[in-house]
Amino acid sequence: MIESKRRRRTVANIATYFVLAGLSMFCIGPMIWMLLTSLKYEADIVTQTMQYIPRRVTFDNYVAIWTQSGFPRLIGNSITVTFLTVTICVATGTLAAYAFSRFAFRGRTQLMLGYLVVRMFPAVMMIIPLYVVMRGVGLVDSRFGLALAYTSFLLPLFVWMLKGFFDSAPRELESAARIDGSTRLGAMVRIVMPLARNGLVASSVFIAIAAWNEFLFALMLTTGQGSRTWPVGLQLMVGEFQLPWGVLAAGGILSILPVVVLFAIVQRTMVQGLTAGAIKG
Amino acid sequence: MTADIEIRNVNKHFGAMSVLEDLSLSIKAREFIVFLGPSGCGKSTLLRMIAGLETVDSGEIAINRERIDHLPPGKRGIAMVFQSYALYPHMTVRDNMAFGLENIGMSREVIDARINEAARILEMPHLLERKPGQLSGGQRQRVAIGRAIVKEPKAFLFDEPLSNLDAALRTRTRLELAQLHQRLQSTMIFVTHDQVEAMTLADRIVVMNNRRIEQIGSPMEIYERPATKFVAGFVGAPAMNFIDATLDRSSGNATARFSDGISVRTAISSDLLADDKYSFGIRSEDVRIVPPGQGNADGVVDVLERLGERTLIYIRLGDGQQIVGSDVGNSRVAVGHKVGLAFDGQKSHLFSAAGRAWHAREA
Repeated sequence: MIESKRRRRTVANIATYFVLAGLSMFCIGPMIWMLLTSLKYEADIVTQTMQYIPRRVTFDNYVAIWTQSGFPRLIGNSITVTFLTVTICVATGTLAAYAFSRFAFRGRTQLMLGYLVVRMFPAVMMIIPLYVVMRGVGLVDSRFGLALAYTSFLLPLFVWMLKGFFDSAPRELESAARIDGSTRLGAMVRIVMPLARNGLVASSVFIAIAAWNEFLFALMLTTGQGSRTWPVGLQLMVGEFQLPWGVLAAGGILSILPVVVLFAIVQRTMVQGLTAGAIKG
Repeated sequence: MTADIEIRNVNKHFGAMSVLEDLSLSIKAREFIVFLGPSGCGKSTLLRMIAGLETVDSGEIAINRERIDHLPPGKRGIAMVFQSYALYPHMTVRDNMAFGLENIGMSREVIDARINEAARILEMPHLLERKPGQLSGGQRQRVAIGRAIVKEPKAFLFDEPLSNLDAALRTRTRLELAQLHQRLQSTMIFVTHDQVEAMTLADRIVVMNNRRIEQIGSPMEIYERPATKFVAGFVGAPAMNFIDATLDRSSGNATARFSDGISVRTAISSDLLADDKYSFGIRSEDVRIVPPGQGNADGVVDVLERLGERTLIYIRLGDGQQIVGSDVGNSRVAVGHKVGLAFDGQKSHLFSAAGRAWHAREA
């Protein structure tokens, strides 16, 4: 009886791991393949029989994309746009999230919902009116304009996420800070923000990754080298008659490196429970 | 430093709901005042209005005859201790205590001197470099009080500061607060729903209920001469016994008659009483247990609560009403026994239908 129960549990465990491993392969597989491809010679990529593990390893693709294309420029633009987006979101979104979290004002719920509505429309639908507006104010093909466009759909997400973190910071702490002579803003900056620091970092990284990887808006709103970001640039490298697989793969790997690094940071910060001891624990 | 506090005709609404109605109160310098009442009676709101954490809809609050209800909390010269302690978790104990002083631009030497003095008073110099997360509940409470002391405020405000502590620690901290008040001679306002805290700490208790003040008085005044039926029922454990009574006002002092023919002669002058229907009130310690037939009424023991120094006895009368009486610690009475009840008419109270109270003339 016990024996059979144990066996059943083992079978269930094996099945679970099988599913998990399968899903992991599904997610990570393409990235590993891309990494392997980026390390191959062009001749080893397109072959009669599939070669998963490269027989000869080369870094030529990395050298090629970094020196023989506008890739560094693309990365530079992406960094600028991402930085601008995060800066705008943090500067305005933090205040907005705090207000939503702490104040009861007329139209609060409607405004919060309105923020979500923006995200319900497909980006494709927004892109044409947005393009017209951007052209009208002369922000097409500018990194700042692209950052503004990103802000329009990332800020609501940022505010919603951060509001949750602010909500969990005890209100009595702010009351105490105000009695200790802080203003509302002072209490927010010196007491609530340090407590919601992990949330702030997590939300910012989330925004940064979204801005970093964005393709559609970037495709429509940038026309020249001056403001084009890496996802568009990489896509444009796909020629009509030739496909430089190795170089593209190397570009892809280089582009996801910052994302991987950022995720590593978020993970560490999010685990720390900073609020421990704030109230009776 | 100490201060008197004057609250005049204060009103407060949250949306359409009224929380405080036309409330006025004078607090003398160096007084220990306790706001006592059930949850939702407005006592915490009143405290937060004095602190400046809630706005005043209409009316005035003055400290030392200076109007402060328009000032931000930090400019009122008060300190507050919260139920959750509200220590800044990312700062050390020292930084927690220094925070308010730094905000008013005090010099580092003075801050350090004050922190060391407060730490000495509260016997916690060894805790100064720790963070709140590394402290026990009692230690956090001390730090919260220390953070208030260093400000040398005009008044201390306590918002149910003991309710998160366990029973033993609560009793000890209560005693320490009383000693602290004697030592600092500051005005202190303490909010609680615990009548024992109120009775033991207060110079005067402000009993609040349903947006209003029911009674202001010394603990013994509140206990012995409650102004309303609410106060009589809220203060004292177990709660006062109430029995519906019809009055016989033919002699000088009124006699209360209960539905099953029991009667008790009170010490309350008939002249004062206009009506015939009253609620008769008597505390458990004024209901003695006697052999059956020798008291005002007989009943059957329902439940015994042995408290050590006395025994509370819940007795069911003939008409089904339950009365709490009191007997010696090692009472011989057992559940199911038939006993007699002797009501001490001198210490009985009468309450009108509107809740107003009448007591025996003061001796």
